[in-house]
Amino acid sequence: MKKEVIKKLREILGSPAVIEDETELLVYECDALTLFKSKPDAVVFPWTTEQVAQIVRLANEHRIPFLPRGAGTGLSGGALAVEGGIIIELQRMNRVLSIDADNRFAIVQPGVVNLHISQAVAPYGLYYAPDPSSQMACSIGGNVAENSGGPHCLKYGMTTNHILAIEAVTPKGEIIRLGNAAGETVGMDLLGAIVGSEGTFVIVTEITIRLLQKPQWVKTLLAAFHSVEDCSQTVSDIIAAGIVPAALEFVDAKTIEAVEASVYKAGYPQDAAAALLIEVDGFREGLEETSNAIVEICRRNRSYDVRVAKDDEERARLWLGRKGAFGAMGRISPDMITMDAVIPRTRLPEVLAEIARMSDRYGLAVANVFHAGDGNLHPLILFDGRRQDQVEKIHRMGEEIVKLCVDVGGALSGEHGIGYEKKEFMNLVFTEPDLEMMMRVKRVFNPDGLLNPSKIFPTRRACTEIGKHTTTSTAEIGKRVDEVLRGSAR
Amino acid sequence: MTIDGVSPSTVLRPESIEELAQTLASEKGAIVPLGAATQTCFGNPLRRADCAIDLTRLSRITEYNPADLTVHVEAGVPLEQLQHALLENNQFLPLDPWNGPRATVGGIAATNAQGPFRATGTIRDWIIGMKVVHVDGQISKAGGRVVKNVTGYDLQKLYTGSLGTLAVIVEVSLKLRAKFPRTATAIARPADESGAAALIASIRNSALQPISCEWTGPENEVLLRFGEHPRAVDWQLKNLPAADWRVLEDADEAAAWEKLRGRYGQLGPLVLRVIGLPATVHEIIKTYRPAAWIAHALNGIVLMQISDADEIPQIRGKYRAVIEKAPLEVRRKIGTFGLTDTEYDLMKKMKEAFDPEGRLNAGRHVDGERN
Ligand SMILES: Cc1cc2nc3c(=O)[nH]c(=O)nc-3n(C[C@H](O)[C@H](O)[C@H](O)COP(=O)(O)OP(=O)(O)OC[C@H]3O[C@@H](n4cnc5c(N)ncnc54)[C@H](O)[C@@H]3O)c2cc1C
Repeated sequence: MKKEVIKKLREILGSPAVIEDETELLVYECDALTLFKSKPDAVVFPWTTEQVAQIVRLANEHRIPFLPRGAGTGLSGGALAVEGGIIIELQRMNRVLSIDADNRFAIVQPGVVNLHISQAVAPYGLYYAPDPSSQMACSIGGNVAENSGGPHCLKYGMTTNHILAIEAVTPKGEIIRLGNAAGETVGMDLLGAIVGSEGTFVIVTEITIRLLQKPQWVKTLLAAFHSVEDCSQTVSDIIAAGIVPAALEFVDAKTIEAVEASVYKAGYPQDAAAALLIEVDGFREGLEETSNAIVEICRRNRSYDVRVAKDDEERARLWLGRKGAFGAMGRISPDMITMDAVIPRTRLPEVLAEIARMSDRYGLAVANVFHAGDGNLHPLILFDGRRQDQVEKIHRMGEEIVKLCVDVGGALSGEHGIGYEKKEFMNLVFTEPDLEMMMRVKRVFNPDGLLNPSKIFPTRRACTEIGKHTTTSTAEIGKRVDEVLRGSAR
Repeated sequence: MTIDGVSPSTVLRPESIEELAQTLASEKGAIVPLGAATQTCFGNPLRRADCAIDLTRLSRITEYNPADLTVHVEAGVPLEQLQHALLENNQFLPLDPWNGPRATVGGIAATNAQGPFRATGTIRDWIIGMKVVHVDGQISKAGGRVVKNVTGYDLQKLYTGSLGTLAVIVEVSLKLRAKFPRTATAIARPADESGAAALIASIRNSALQPISCEWTGPENEVLLRFGEHPRAVDWQLKNLPAADWRVLEDADEAAAWEKLRGRYGQLGPLVLRVIGLPATVHEIIKTYRPAAWIAHALNGIVLMQISDADEIPQIRGKYRAVIEKAPLEVRRKIGTFGLTDTEYDLMKKMKEAFDPEGRLNAGRHVDGERN
């Protein structure tokens, strides 16, 4: 990039807020999907919306691509600077601007860490519901971009159900506002289109979020099973019974093995083939009955041990294991690929059985830890990056899993997004006209395509080409996840 | 058939999505998609109509998976028919648009129609996927068939509330919920406005979680509906803030809500949907002194009957406000949505991107907003 641009960036932001040094840039060559790497030309750290707008206008003048980045915990390469250019890192815009407890909303900057919001509003008996497992590190701006989910989205909905209004900088550098604190759509739902657009429509610089009253009562259960099939059938049965647990999470034997060997040790039953972490919340009255109904369904499906957390401490421990599961994989495997797909909940037993057969066929272990209640699978393919024979197989296996999910009526991603990782799969679920209509909307927001290019849409290169990148070792993923969960991610 | 003073020369009733697509591929005039036609006077005035498309024959529930709590329906299915099918499995959709159960699923989506269940959300929260036919006859879909999905852009959200001006909605995929194990409604009539406002404030600041909370005026009636585990409903009824409550269940309860719907029907001819905040509902009522109103009190939204259209610009100076009902003369003069410049600009570009010749429901939405 031209010296002149760097000079101007420094005029806007001051010298230390602009990085162009090759070694310092290394940190920004990928997000938590470490499979793909591409170095930006510069990384900038604005404090204000006006600065973001100025940077964007400068990039426009010089026709330089640019993209926003939150905490870099994304798992689909959304914050990957595919074509180089400027990364606009928003972590310094990390203030909770105001809390309106009476009307139950808060206004926050995009760099605020998800968990910090709930901490800030806790004194009012309120919280922010969407809770990605990465919530100790990921930014609310990144959540808005990805329409992130989390264990409790089963009952409370995804990010999109909790965003009331935004301020944003358009790809041309204008500052706009959309939505209102009442969350009432006026005309077309532009805000609804922006949430989940993966940082390809606008750069969000301020967010008005809905706050919820903390539930009166919570009960957390752990049910252990000797067979994966019984466990997944239990999920289907709970949903079919019309019960809406706050969370319904699945962990299999491999996951339990990893978690119990790690710092996230949660006391999961080590002789189980699979277990469910189930939470119900709401009014204290009636909750016991709902929880009993769940226990009954578990028993009917041959659960040999159903444990109810006695106190908050035990509850927190059970959740620590679940939230640390990705990070714990480093204990049992040097490398892994984190997958994310959705299937209709009734198809869980057969799909998990098929994934187990694939695992045998490819000779690659798979750990399953996922949001079972909404059918959102996260198969983790475990491998050793030093073994060329395994590296060659992981991508074929990953592709087979994706196709399996699509074949039963599922979706490519439930929460991590398409980003760079899955764009070549888009043709599996969308036709040419489907993609053309999405492109039309993208062009309305981002006509020149300078904002976050080369994402989401397939480029029609042969799928095998993605495979080439996999020769890069992915050993960093585990390390990265560890960082995220300790809240030390960049 | 006449809408806003224009009469389409042809009315077509396609039996299938493919037939509709073929029709649109060859039709070159102005197109007016119609559901049960319960909401045809919402929006800016229709400008042209060559060909009306009655979608009520697209009336199949194409797939219903009770165990997955998902359903896929053609746009012409009336809400009551869908609810009826869902009830067989103890499931339902918390949607109760004012325009009534005859409204079609496609029509509710296109108008983003709401009712007292507003407190639990709107149709956008239940839609997981959508199929549409474009003005040139192309068929496309967005979203999918599973309850959680971030694959591609959420275009179904854009189509929702676009009044059929971007594309014709032909199939909607929805997630469902189990029927509330029990519901009960508590009704009180505080002596005056301040009494009602105080009552609602104490409800907002309590642990109660009503699934509807309506404040109607000038009679100052407060209606609360609870839907939960029977014991949680009981607990909430026991913990109501002090007032002279009447508690209704079953047929009496249903009658009370049907009566409220009638009340909505009587509002008018000029009704504004004023968007404030939960804590400003009383302020809105005090300031504008509507002759009659229904407020979604927990959402900060007031549907208010005003007498003079000239008040609208003044109200819009302070609050966002959508024209809910108005005579044609008023709608000719004043835009329905009161869009900000940003919204206007982006929506206009959306319209141009999907329907460059302005043939879908010409004038109804952004294209008729500022004249
Ligand atoms: C251990 C682990 C567990 C995880 N668990 C979950 C989970 O349970 N559920 C879930 O949904 N995800 C999960 N994720 C994925 C990830 O944390 C989320 O996608 C998160 O929302 C990303 O936030 P971020 O701040 O790190 O964003 P980044 O990774 O920095 O960016 C993600 C995308 O958002 C865009 N972006 C960032 N900020 C803005 C902004 N202000 N305006 C516009 N666009 C912006 C970027 O351009 C990029 O495309 C997990 C990740 C890890 C590593």
